[in-house]
Amino acid sequence: MPTHEIGLQVENLCVSYQGVPAVRGVDLEVKAGEAIGLIGPNGAGKSSTLLGIMGATARTGTVRINGIDVAGLPPEKVVRQGVALVPEGRHIFSELSVLNNLKLGLVGRREKTGIPEAFAEVFTLFPILEEFQGRKAGLLSGGQQQQLAIARSLMANPDIILLDEPSLGLSPTAVDTVFEALDVVRKAGKAVLIVEQRAEFTIAFSDKTFVLHDGLITLTLGPSDANNVDVLTEAYFG
Amino acid sequence: MSEILSKSKASLRWRLGPLWSLASLLMLVYLVTLANSFMGESLQVQLQFALVNLIIVVALQMFIGTTGVLSFGHIAFVAVGAWTVGLLTIEPDLKRSLLSDMFPFLFDVQAPWLVAVFIGGLVGGLLALIVSPFLMRLNGLQAGIATFALLGVVTQVLTYWSSIGPRSGQSMVGIPDVLNLQTTMFFALGAIVIAWLFQRTRPARLLRAAREDGIAAAASGINVVSQRIIAFTISGIVAGVAGGLFALTNRVLQAQQLGIELTFITLAMLVLGGMLSLSGAVIGALVFSVIDVGLVQLQAGVDIGSFVVSIPQGVRPIILGLILVGFLIFRPSGLTRGREIVWPFRPQRQALPGVPPENE
Amino acid sequence: MNQFIQSLVDAISGGAILGLAALSIGLVFGVIRLANFAQGEIITAAAYTLIFTWQLGWFISIPLSIVVAVALSLLMEFTVFSRMRTATPATLLIASFGLSFLLQRVYEMLFTNTVQTAPVGSALAQSIDVGGVRIQMLSVVTIILAGSLLYGLTLFLAKSSLGLQLQAAAADFQTARLIGISASRVIGLSFALSGVLAAAVAFVSTVQTGAVGPSFGVPIVILALVGAVIGGIDKLSGALAGGFLVGFATSMLASWLPQDFSNFRDAYVFGLVILVLLFRPSGLLIRGRGVART
Repeated sequence: MPTHEIGLQVENLCVSYQGVPAVRGVDLEVKAGEAIGLIGPNGAGKSSTLLGIMGATARTGTVRINGIDVAGLPPEKVVRQGVALVPEGRHIFSELSVLNNLKLGLVGRREKTGIPEAFAEVFTLFPILEEFQGRKAGLLSGGQQQQLAIARSLMANPDIILLDEPSLGLSPTAVDTVFEALDVVRKAGKAVLIVEQRAEFTIAFSDKTFVLHDGLITLTLGPSDANNVDVLTEAYFG
Repeated sequence: MSEILSKSKASLRWRLGPLWSLASLLMLVYLVTLANSFMGESLQVQLQFALVNLIIVVALQMFIGTTGVLSFGHIAFVAVGAWTVGLLTIEPDLKRSLLSDMFPFLFDVQAPWLVAVFIGGLVGGLLALIVSPFLMRLNGLQAGIATFALLGVVTQVLTYWSSIGPRSGQSMVGIPDVLNLQTTMFFALGAIVIAWLFQRTRPARLLRAAREDGIAAAASGINVVSQRIIAFTISGIVAGVAGGLFALTNRVLQAQQLGIELTFITLAMLVLGGMLSLSGAVIGALVFSVIDVGLVQLQAGVDIGSFVVSIPQGVRPIILGLILVGFLIFRPSGLTRGREIVWPFRPQRQALPGVPPENE
Repeated sequence: MNQFIQSLVDAISGGAILGLAALSIGLVFGVIRLANFAQGEIITAAAYTLIFTWQLGWFISIPLSIVVAVALSLLMEFTVFSRMRTATPATLLIASFGLSFLLQRVYEMLFTNTVQTAPVGSALAQSIDVGGVRIQMLSVVTIILAGSLLYGLTLFLAKSSLGLQLQAAAADFQTARLIGISASRVIGLSFALSGVLAAAVAFVSTVQTGAVGPSFGVPIVILALVGAVIGGIDKLSGALAGGFLVGFATSMLASWLPQDFSNFRDAYVFGLVILVLLFRPSGLLIRGRGVART
């Protein structure tokens, strides 16, 4: 089995809804051990980019997961290529227990081994989940649900993780917890793509941050640009 | 100069377009009837039924097309209208002997058939008016189920309540033979005109807006329920009239005839033609009826050259059912895709899904 | 008093069967928003199977009826509903309506309009004496059967991976796919389970009446559908409860309505349905005025 380069490659991604373009030709690449940020104002096409990568919405362009072109694959098959999405708004299954939510994350897992280790890793990253594992997921706080959503995607042992606005609605402490975990994930060798509205935070955290504006990438920023107000203003309003 | 010319052409199209679509529908019905009047007796009877169905489908479209809400219960209004006409046109003596369990005042109540038909319409409308404040609050699946339950109630009551009709298992017979094909056609034309006029009224416009975006409509201050009540009632009146005509065409009435099967057939016609436009209702009804008549002929055996082509007895409803399901799968917007018949000399603006181009 | 107990047992049994039928509709609805009116024809198919194969022995006939029900259910999904993924629930309902009509005519053509009879489960058509009260054995068997099926289903949903996946898909279909749950597998599963439940309903109904015609399943599915909606077709527990309520009420009315009114029993049930929908459009089991997912 030839070894493919681990990572995500997106070329000329275009997504439209009923003739209205949302993403108009996006190129990006996320390598193993890298965290890439994708920021931009509302309606810029950030969520659509992620959904397009997952195959959840019609798109043109090329998406390569670990070197393999996933054109035409439905989301459930794209997952099995080694990518996981943590959706905007978390979308955990509120009527099911925390444990069952995690078990569902296993469905997309490629290998059938290493499951107890997976649970151990996830509980180490997010101890609160181990404590609440029997509880109905809907009873968790927003921050805890976000942890659960990330944990669920980690259970599938993906090579690439996509996150859609993980800090949405979270308290600062919760945000810290989440991003600390993401840092661990990045250092563990996974490729992380984070879509966010909180510009400063994301720019500081990511190895590279792209600014998406009206369906196109207009700017590339590095962590050193995090405190540069002018650059940020231009990114959002320019 | 040419700009002024093209603007006045555009405004001409804007004004005449909807009239053209109305005129072409009327002409269509007229021509079909005309062509048919040269054919045999049995075909004429079938066409009469087809025209009655057309009126029902038009009534259905008036409501479902504007509000976007499903009604499985319109046949209830048809049934009530039919019942009314039956009771008003059967000879009192006949009523006394055959429908003996009825309320005594019903024996003597009589009306000329034309008046009876309009009263039937009013009764249908009245029933619609009474139930609509309740039913019109519902959407989607719930509306379908609730209107279906309404049909169930009406069917049961008409079947079993011998104080207003025949005993269960018996039929209402003796409705006079006074309705001919031409008169039925005029009623059909009238129904189309009424539907066309209704489309252009304010309630219809408000409802179409609400159909596309209920939240925005409510936020704009539109009282959707009141508008729906208006639409439901008017379409109930038209359905009631159709029921009266059914009674006069069939001349025998049984509650069973006006139930689920008729609901299915009229819905199928509407889906075939396209739910969102009046043209869809008319075209769907006509095409369906033509196919149906064709199938009846095939069942009896048709001579083609030296062969006799025929289809077995039970295949006809199967084919009709396949057509309905097929359209729902492959072309849910129907033959007309929800558009009206348009002024033919200009390119049509691309219709957005679910939104017919506004001709006003 | 004895009569009351008898009618109570019958009503619970009637409710159980209709609850199962409503559940079979709710299972599929939860995943793809289809209220399948043609479920009645699946019940009819299973019933016909029982009638025609009963003489081969119950151990052949009953499993065969289950196979037929599941096969027909999957066939419906494969040929019709899988092509209508983007349709609204109302459109899907109309399509299932058309399919139901179609299948009834096919049955007419194949088996004629005359009812077919066979002594299916005749051993159950007797009454037993329990503490001085005569109870229909069939009623007891029905309650036990329904209870076991429900228990098995609950276990399956809660404990097995597929069951969890089904629950997830019913709760949030898009997200389920995004975490790798196979849409087609889950949908197929829901149709298959629905078929199994239909076969159970068919069995009890066939034993009860002993005769099957082309529109055998229609009155059942009407009440089941109506029950599911008033219970809250969104949730499995809602569909079950609603179906049970309608079945229970229908049976009680049948036992207790005075002669003159008994013909209108169905009318009362429909009237009850309209009333419930007015006050609780999302269903009885949904707290408050929830927004219906239709």
